[in-house]
Amino acid sequence: MEPEISNQSLLFLVVFVLIPLSLSYFYQLGLNKNIIWSSLRGTVQLFAIGYLLTYLFELPAMIGIPFMISIMLTVAAFHARKKGMGLPNVLLYIFIGLLVIEVSVLSLWLIFDMVAFTPSEVIPMSGMVIGNSMVAMGLALERMKNEFKENNGRLLAALSLGAKPSTASKLIVQKTLNAALIPNVDQLKTIGLVQLPGMMTGLILGGVAPVTAIKYQLVISISIFSSVSLSAMFITLAMYRYFFNEQGQLVDSEEEIRSEA
Amino acid sequence: MFRFEQVSRYPLKKMDFQIEKKEKVILFGPSGSGKSTLLFLFNRLHNPTEGTIYFEGQNVKEYPFTELRKRVGLVLQEPNLFPGTVLDNIKYGPSLFGEWKEEDGELLMGYVQLPSTYLNRDVEQLSGGEKQRVSLARTLANQPEVLLLDEPTSALDYRTAEDIEEVLEQLINQHELTMIMVTHDMRQARRLGNRGLFITEGKVMEDGKLPDMLDSPASQELKEFLEE
Repeated sequence: MEPEISNQSLLFLVVFVLIPLSLSYFYQLGLNKNIIWSSLRGTVQLFAIGYLLTYLFELPAMIGIPFMISIMLTVAAFHARKKGMGLPNVLLYIFIGLLVIEVSVLSLWLIFDMVAFTPSEVIPMSGMVIGNSMVAMGLALERMKNEFKENNGRLLAALSLGAKPSTASKLIVQKTLNAALIPNVDQLKTIGLVQLPGMMTGLILGGVAPVTAIKYQLVISISIFSSVSLSAMFITLAMYRYFFNEQGQLVDSEEEIRSEA
Repeated sequence: MFRFEQVSRYPLKKMDFQIEKKEKVILFGPSGSGKSTLLFLFNRLHNPTEGTIYFEGQNVKEYPFTELRKRVGLVLQEPNLFPGTVLDNIKYGPSLFGEWKEEDGELLMGYVQLPSTYLNRDVEQLSGGEKQRVSLARTLANQPEVLLLDEPTSALDYRTAEDIEEVLEQLINQHELTMIMVTHDMRQARRLGNRGLFITEGKVMEDGKLPDMLDSPASQELKEFLEE
């Protein structure tokens, strides 16, 4: 039997919203509007995506999958770009990076028969890969900008000793990649021990046997891990050079970075 | 050795001067006058917006920047050491050019008057003065012909600063280096320099021998600066 929450039961979720709302009211946090707006927006978005997915799942795979993945890639690229504002061509690099990673992961899933080429399997799983890669790219870009600011003196020292930009920025590239990868490494270490991962929980709630659910979870967790590593590495290696010019000088401000490009 | 022709880069305006081999030049003047900017022009960490800089008769732009920076070493105000050991730091420069020899480690420690047992010490364990000595050794490891110093003792206490000065004095004399140093400390300028360039509002206001120019300043601006 397919588990289902009735619409009536769903209405009682209002109680869950009332809790943070009353906290905000009593402690004058000024979040009332935000809480109401985000709850409403989240509900509408989820219902919309629910109906859209129902429609997409009924379409032929060759139409539904590329259509939804294109939307996901575009939204993810625009979102991750916010963290890399000021860097030239950052949107293009993010989009290409996400596209290559998604196509590679999807190809491997299909080649090794891990996932069936149906919208109901490919779309949710791709969404997880693209979403996590987007976060990793954003984190990497943000961290890289901060590291360049904080390590200005060390970079100057390295350049003044005769280092090329690629050598001088090794330390920063290492730190950036570390920062982007550590949350995933930690997550993978404690998977199933601290909390049951979302996908596995969903499958179990949907009536799938836990061991089958685990197999799917493994596929997605390892896929996310490798795509996150690749995303962070790709965007870091693609963008670090914009912090230097051709004469091995540090480009100081964001305006200068744009004009160097 | 260096020739500046009509060189500008904010806040510097149309700088014209020449620096000969083995000169010990002190760049001094009020804050914001462009001394550090000027220093960074020598090894092309900055480019002039106008004018030309010549090194050994050749436009600095014609040198590969890596080679120029190896020959024209820079020591910054803060040591800015790389994470790792003292050895990791001092072999950084020569390793870039495939010129590192293990025996150089002890030699360089000797130059900056640190025991060779420090080579394997983590740089985090060093005091401020020791860090600046390692920074100096790291620059010297490249065997530069010119040493650029950007207020190398300003972040140190008086006693430690004096120790570093002594190390610098010996090194520059022993190795017959050309030195170009930015400092606010006129006592240090007298001790280490033989020529002074007084820079104010982006211009060389006075250029003369040290310590004479400090004892009898020609311009009103220098007089006022020294009285401050």
